[in-house]
Amino acid sequence: MWIKRLTNFFTAIYTNPTGRVVLLTLYYLAIIAGLIIMYGRGNFTTPKFVYQGF
Amino acid sequence: MKQISHLTAAIFSLCVLIVVLIGFNGYARSIERQYVNALAPLDLTQTVNGIALQQAALYQSDLLPFYGSSEITLINTPYQAEKFFATYPTGFTVFQVANLGAGSLTMAQNLAALGPDLKGKKVVISITPAPFTFSPLREDYYAGNYTRLHAYGLIFSPYLSMELKSTAAQRMLGHPKTLEADPFLEFTLNHMTDASIQSRVLYVIMFPLGALQTEVMWLQDHAEVILYIWNHHIDPNVQHIPYKIRWSKNFSAAHAEQKLHALSNPYGIEDWRWKLFQGKSKVPYQPGSGDAGFLRFLQSAEEWQDFKILLDVLQELGAKPLILSRPINGRYWEAVGVSGQAQDAFYTKLHAVVDPYHMTLVDYQQYTNEIYFSIDSVSHTSRYGWVYVDKTLNQFFHGNLH
Repeated sequence: MWIKRLTNFFTAIYTNPTGRVVLLTLYYLAIIAGLIIMYGRGNFTTPKFVYQGF
Repeated sequence: MKQISHLTAAIFSLCVLIVVLIGFNGYARSIERQYVNALAPLDLTQTVNGIALQQAALYQSDLLPFYGSSEITLINTPYQAEKFFATYPTGFTVFQVANLGAGSLTMAQNLAALGPDLKGKKVVISITPAPFTFSPLREDYYAGNYTRLHAYGLIFSPYLSMELKSTAAQRMLGHPKTLEADPFLEFTLNHMTDASIQSRVLYVIMFPLGALQTEVMWLQDHAEVILYIWNHHIDPNVQHIPYKIRWSKNFSAAHAEQKLHALSNPYGIEDWRWKLFQGKSKVPYQPGSGDAGFLRFLQSAEEWQDFKILLDVLQELGAKPLILSRPINGRYWEAVGVSGQAQDAFYTKLHAVVDPYHMTLVDYQQYTNEIYFSIDSVSHTSRYGWVYVDKTLNQFFHGNLH
């Protein structure tokens, strides 16, 4: 039941031009946030080596 | 209409993303400046391999950035500048950026990545005679100190001349192992070393992509630092305990201590180093028998090219550096056949290279025959040597070095 109400709610927003833009913006931001979380960490480690005094 | 909605939403999303990133950047910088004094003695990976903390250190009036290699990090002693000045006895401490096996090209990349933040700032560049006179730095040392952020920071810097970047690119191509996983940078470097119009146009096309990648890595660097601060309970307030340093007392104590660590040979080489390397060579050699080889290496060492790149970077970015070399262990080198006259050629060449830049240079040539200045034949600083270095750093910071 709540799924149908939620679908109707988003459909109503999506049919409104401004609402559609807002929803799409949130959708894109969620994708960007997901990408940052998955691939955002940098790798600052360097290969190990044995220092032999020169 | 639907397509316009997508376009509008995409533009909005990008705007929000840019605003968030600018906000995060500002937040990170302010936090880093607040915590950099507390983080300085921890020698974090981000201190050496990142930029954010180094940049924050440049804006602290009580931190003196100190770049170098194994001569700074090899022995653990209270006379090491980082420990000697830990309580800010004369109003400052060093912000040490050093790792074993780091050469001039590594330092050049690192400092280039700091860009205009270096302008007018005092920095200390520590070097030793060894890579100029004895042996090139090994390939795995360069690879072990190589970071993409610093390499991109140099190659895609808008603040450095194309001529300098091309020279650096040529030298970086000499280390192909570090470029194996980075075809974009390798492609760029190859075209930078080619003066044809086609290659220059390609570099101009690659530049925005490289600059964008640099910005992304810089943000990642900020994120690593901020995550470290969030995950560790660090007190940003660092205690300052001013006191008058008694230099003569420190010199005496360090000299006595150093002597106890070098009992096995007459050259002041620490016992563990003598056992490991030097003890295997049968000294003394015929006087002067090593001069030709020494001078040949001195004239052809590739480290000079990297060192000039480093000096060019410092000059073009407007830094106020102190070039801090170390004395050759003269007694030992004489014993292996390199005469004092041949050794002097190093100091002469060092001055010939540095003097045209009008930078402050300290070479400690007068201590060439002071056997306890170094712990070995390749001028790694001893406890006693550190007191000289500490005194020089103190004079440089307070503007008393003449």
